[in-house]
Amino acid sequence: MNPRKDLLTIGSLSTEEINTILDSATAMKDIFTKSVKKVPALKGKSVLTLFYEPSTRTRSSFEVAAHRLSADVTTFTVSTSSVVKGESVHDTIDTLMSMKMDYIIVRHKHSGIPAVIARHCKAAVINAGDGAHAHPSQAFLDAFTIREKYGEVAGRRVVIIGDILHSRVARSTSCILKRLGAEVAYMGPGPLVPLQKHTGIPRFTNWDQIFEWRPDVIYLLRVQNERMDAPFFPAGDYHQAFGVTEERLERIDDLNLSIMHPGPVNRGVEICDAAMDYRNTLINDQVENGIAARMSILYHLTPQTQNND
Amino acid sequence: MTNTYILNATWAPTGEKCDICLGPGKSSSFEKLGGLRTCDAEIQPAGSMSAPDGARRIDATGKLVMPALFDLHAKVEVPGRSKRESVSRTGQAAAQGGVWGMLVIPTRGFMFDNYATLDSFNDAVTQRSATEMLPAGTISLGAQGAQQAPYNTLSARGVNILTDGDRVPDNLLMLHRAMKYAAELNLTFAIRGDVPALTANTYMHPGSTSYALGLHGTPACAEEIGIETLLRLAEDTGARLHIQTVSTAEGVESIRRAKARGQAVTAEVALHHLLYTHENVGDYDTTFKVTPPLRERSDCEALLAGVKDGTIDCIVTDHTPCTPFDKKQDFISAPQGMTALDTFLPALYTHLVKPGKLSWAELVQACCVAPLSIAEPQDSESDTDASVPLLLFDPEPEYTVTPDHIVCGTMNNPQIGTTLCGSVTLPLQ
Repeated sequence: MNPRKDLLTIGSLSTEEINTILDSATAMKDIFTKSVKKVPALKGKSVLTLFYEPSTRTRSSFEVAAHRLSADVTTFTVSTSSVVKGESVHDTIDTLMSMKMDYIIVRHKHSGIPAVIARHCKAAVINAGDGAHAHPSQAFLDAFTIREKYGEVAGRRVVIIGDILHSRVARSTSCILKRLGAEVAYMGPGPLVPLQKHTGIPRFTNWDQIFEWRPDVIYLLRVQNERMDAPFFPAGDYHQAFGVTEERLERIDDLNLSIMHPGPVNRGVEICDAAMDYRNTLINDQVENGIAARMSILYHLTPQTQNND
Repeated sequence: MTNTYILNATWAPTGEKCDICLGPGKSSSFEKLGGLRTCDAEIQPAGSMSAPDGARRIDATGKLVMPALFDLHAKVEVPGRSKRESVSRTGQAAAQGGVWGMLVIPTRGFMFDNYATLDSFNDAVTQRSATEMLPAGTISLGAQGAQQAPYNTLSARGVNILTDGDRVPDNLLMLHRAMKYAAELNLTFAIRGDVPALTANTYMHPGSTSYALGLHGTPACAEEIGIETLLRLAEDTGARLHIQTVSTAEGVESIRRAKARGQAVTAEVALHHLLYTHENVGDYDTTFKVTPPLRERSDCEALLAGVKDGTIDCIVTDHTPCTPFDKKQDFISAPQGMTALDTFLPALYTHLVKPGKLSWAELVQACCVAPLSIAEPQDSESDTDASVPLLLFDPEPEYTVTPDHIVCGTMNNPQIGTTLCGSVTLPLQ
């Protein structure tokens, strides 16, 4: 296996690599329970988080992961940088490369930006979410969480519910789950769920169809109002039509289904309060596993910045 | 008569062997080509021509002679270069691609909404370009879609066609009044079928590629609705209408229906919409970011069928120079457009004529006769005794297009790196 420089999409990885990263995430998670939660794997390496979009969870998850691998972490804050002065991404990258960073973790509202950066620099680039394109580290933590819960991903059925059109999580998570042998379906408001002929993923339009399909995991997405230039559906309808209501939660409980969500959660929109405390809600596991998965990703990549010293 | 020589070649539109006598003062008129006149050359069936004294004979067996092409949709501005340099480079690129004349679409650098810009552009063309360049006026001031441009002034400077370039007017009231006013001046409105409200913030055709790349799709119905709207406006106002860069099968069908009910409308397709699909975008290849976007293979086929049955009158380049830096940006930020003038005739030949999808006669009709009759209508005031030069096309050479082939000044030509056949000699003398 050639050393991999960047993690841009799940699709670019071999199944062998996906399994390697998931396996070492298990080892990384074991570190969390030790008294010293740190290993020297990335000692002396510099990691830059470059977030052009607001993010608390993903950014701090990556930062904690890098710290636990003993890397030095620099935060590039976009609001105080020259980006707001109109500097192009290329010029920002030239500047950052002059600082000799080994890993760049990037999030941008435009699909495809991490690939542009990866092409033009020697640092390992990790896509921490680009537009509606990909969010591979989220996919790893989701697959890891399902594997932890059920023993293996293969054979499981996962329905992803919500705004599929704008969701990089839906794209990356469905991709990794299918690669690992799970079945995936989409459900959501009509304008927000692309056609099956374009996605290759079955498309449901209501909960009855979902319960009939008998999934193992209900994966809820956040309604991303900030990505919508104009309303896609009647705002008042969402919870009643597509959310986990208390009524539906009873059914979910009867069938012993799990609930996942990439966060942050809109209570009362995609999920009711009671569902947050439901015994099979894996949302907090996802957060913890996110650190392990991201440590494993950092460990797996090989920047081209090293000299043989 | 001096400087005369005779070529024995094949007359491309008919495939017959012919002799061509080249020299000043010679000309031919071709009924089959809509009365097209060629300049400085006379064509006769092979062997029937008596050579003037002192004429040189050149054996051009295996080569084709044909009218040079006219491109109804090209942008001349090369970002980052002076306007004069842009004109000269684009002229060279056109000649290399077999194009002797073009309609220049307004851009930010060449905003043809006033006489001063038109005059300085025409001066630059006279001084710098062997290629004919006819400016298209804008529909609205600054192509902003708000207020009508001074059509009388533009018309007096020889403008026959109005277009706001890439921008489609979204103010139908402005457009309706503009059409009513300009109908008196015999101006043609050249507009793309689009509903801007439906296509804002979209970047490519909706499908498996747009889903995989996380890019918002441009619905095909926006083009169809736009075309139907334009057809109704033109019908109501009596304005001449030319539909630019049709990209969808539904769009072709709308125009076919309009022509069937007798409406005088013309339409064009860009070469890239005949050759490429949305799948060419691949992994965010910004060269293939165009407006309207590349569609499905079935759309390419419907567009070509439209060219063959005359629903689509012209094939154009939609030549749009972009700097390498512009196209190196991410797909959403990068500007739309590709260049095509440098390789136009070899690409038409390699991809359409050679595989038997388009005949030479159809090519000459769609790339010379029809665009010329739209750019310079017979009844237009500026109709001078314009005649078309001939070019010589050698279909034999096969070569890989390298950046060295490209003279227009920018490298956003999708033919770079591909193999093309054929080379152009233009001008002939």
